[in-house]
Amino acid sequence: MFEIEYGSSGEVICRGRLDAAQCERAEGFLSGLEGPSTLDFNELEYISSAGLGILLKTQKRLAGIGAGLKIINVNNHIHDVFRYSGFHAIFDIHAKE
Amino acid sequence: MRRDFKRHLDSLGGLYEFSEAVMAERKLPDGVRFPVHLAMEELFVNMVHYNPTVTTDIEVTVTVGDTVTVSLVDNGGVEFDVTTKREVDIDAPLEERKPGGLGVHLVQNLVDTLEYEYQDGRGEVIFTKGSGT
Repeated sequence: MFEIEYGSSGEVICRGRLDAAQCERAEGFLSGLEGPSTLDFNELEYISSAGLGILLKTQKRLAGIGAGLKIINVNNHIHDVFRYSGFHAIFDIHAKE
Repeated sequence: MRRDFKRHLDSLGGLYEFSEAVMAERKLPDGVRFPVHLAMEELFVNMVHYNPTVTTDIEVTVTVGDTVTVSLVDNGGVEFDVTTKREVDIDAPLEERKPGGLGVHLVQNLVDTLEYEYQDGRGEVIFTKGSGT
């Protein structure tokens, strides 16, 4: 299961498991972002390299208009995946407290 | 425990449920389950993507003992040695990054052992991860 929607403050809330089968849905939503955006991963349990690719594609597109993604409430396991992928240098990432 | 899965991304949900059931029964911690799920998905997706015309199922076996041992068998696919080191520049700036290519890199970093055998059209990947028990 994977869900993505806007939260009450305009942040993008991601829930569940972002695997390769769910990337089309994630990409469809994220392609609509048109400025600085916050992704709330508080309820995102899992992400694979396919999901990382969608995040990277979105970040590159937003960078072209002087914007970017802030990713908050990242769990320890996804944090490790980001670290192995070198994403800390190219995203504004905040771990779950 | 072994189960065969259709060679399609729609199988990922079933693949997760299968391996989760095996590991949950043994009460393995999230720190083990997460990398096992991730490695399984990356390897399975590779077998799907690199063999678009192959129709055979992919055989998946998960065994839990002192370590979690996972085998994925691809009958009829092309040779793809996942143990070969890939050049992935994780320090590259954003403008030089390209989507893709991280899957095998993550697998190689998250599992404890990784083996690959290919003979007569049969490819098998076996990886292990300490069970944390």
